[in-house]
Amino acid sequence: MRTRLTALLVCFLFVALAQAELRPPAQATAGTPFSIVSSGAGEGTFYLIGPAQISKRKVNGGEISVQGDEVEQAGTYTAILCADQCTAVHFYVRPAQASRLSLLVHPSRVPVAAPNAISAVAFVFDRFHNLVLSPQKVDFKVVPPEGAAISQSKTSANGTAWIRLTSARKGGPAKVGASIGDVAEMRVVQQVASDACNLRIKAIPGPKGISVETDPVRDCSGNFVPDGTVVSFTKTDSSGKTTVDAPIKRGVARVEMAVSGPARISVASGVVNGNELSLGGAR
Amino acid sequence: MKRLAMTILRRLALLLAAGLIIVCFSFLQSQIHAASALPRVELNADNVGPRAIEELTSKTITRDYANAWKTMADALDNNRVDLLDGYFTGFAKEKLTQLIAQQKQSGVRIHYDDGAHKLDALFYSPSGDAMQLRDRAQLGIEVRDGGKVIHNEQGNVQYLVLMTPGADRWLVRDLVTTPEVKP
Repeated sequence: MRTRLTALLVCFLFVALAQAELRPPAQATAGTPFSIVSSGAGEGTFYLIGPAQISKRKVNGGEISVQGDEVEQAGTYTAILCADQCTAVHFYVRPAQASRLSLLVHPSRVPVAAPNAISAVAFVFDRFHNLVLSPQKVDFKVVPPEGAAISQSKTSANGTAWIRLTSARKGGPAKVGASIGDVAEMRVVQQVASDACNLRIKAIPGPKGISVETDPVRDCSGNFVPDGTVVSFTKTDSSGKTTVDAPIKRGVARVEMAVSGPARISVASGVVNGNELSLGGAR
Repeated sequence: MKRLAMTILRRLALLLAAGLIIVCFSFLQSQIHAASALPRVELNADNVGPRAIEELTSKTITRDYANAWKTMADALDNNRVDLLDGYFTGFAKEKLTQLIAQQKQSGVRIHYDDGAHKLDALFYSPSGDAMQLRDRAQLGIEVRDGGKVIHNEQGNVQYLVLMTPGADRWLVRDLVTTPEVKP
């Protein structure tokens, strides 16, 4: 009689575990421990399959504890309990609180006063590098080399917030940053002079012909165009048309040209044309 | 009589050999096809912003995303982390590397039977250096422990994907399942 009862009990437990149901929590958060309730009793194997996680252990029904380090990645998890048969259930682990920012700022060098030339994209992550999908307020800030900082807030969508900025009128390094709470990321964008503006040349008689040089080359905001920028001098005289390229050195570009008879000399840098000189016929 | 029997036997053997060759050839062909088959990927870029996706980029994204899924399935099937190098980077690669390490440790194996992917481009950064997409994937997922199938299901899974350009292709930087993604 006793043996029969034991066998019946074992049978009951076996059937109970075989049909065990798993009840995960309604809401689980990355890195936070929780329990999954199993309706079955007796021994079985529990599996937890996640985006970067596979756990496997023996359990005895009842409440199955899941440690925080088993659910650090946000996403869909599958909990499986196997005895004679396997039962599976899915649940979603949401990201933890936003605590990291990844900031992309482009370009690293930009001409001054260029409209919408700088873009900054911020990705909002939690401490486990999960993209935080719920809307978050991201504060973007630009600190120019001179003048006051400019701030603008954007709300992230699907973990992403972005902004477009116009570069300052003065050259120099500008700091572009994004912050969320106490977390801030900063990048530096070098603002360089734009194209030359009011490009002017003058001719000075020299020992080998005519020396042609520019006035100090600046952009329209008064910033010096960087040394090395090429300036093209074009001479048209009775011998034909000749173009000579010269880099700017210490703010000025300079060439020596031999001229036969009346000549015209013009200057250009990039897409900008300067003034034209007419020479009467010096050697 | 004996000669006739021999002839019949010889012809039967030849027929059998020819049949075997045909069967082997079709089997090999199906294996080769299975190994090289890419999942179907469709991209809808109608609602993307702030930058529009160029036609060539659109083709590259679908091609590279399909390749990413194929290499991920192969890497998980064969426990080979090196296969991830081609199309994964950043957090996505870290997570999959960790998953493969845990597969090796636990003896559990995840197998994806990849059906189709419908991609919606959500965000393309102004400078073209990051793209976020939503993928509605039709997948078969099988979980094995040793030789035993412990879970098997077919269904639709939604992913949020972050891709960034590499030297000659787009790489998956983050791949996360999500219950709902707002457009």
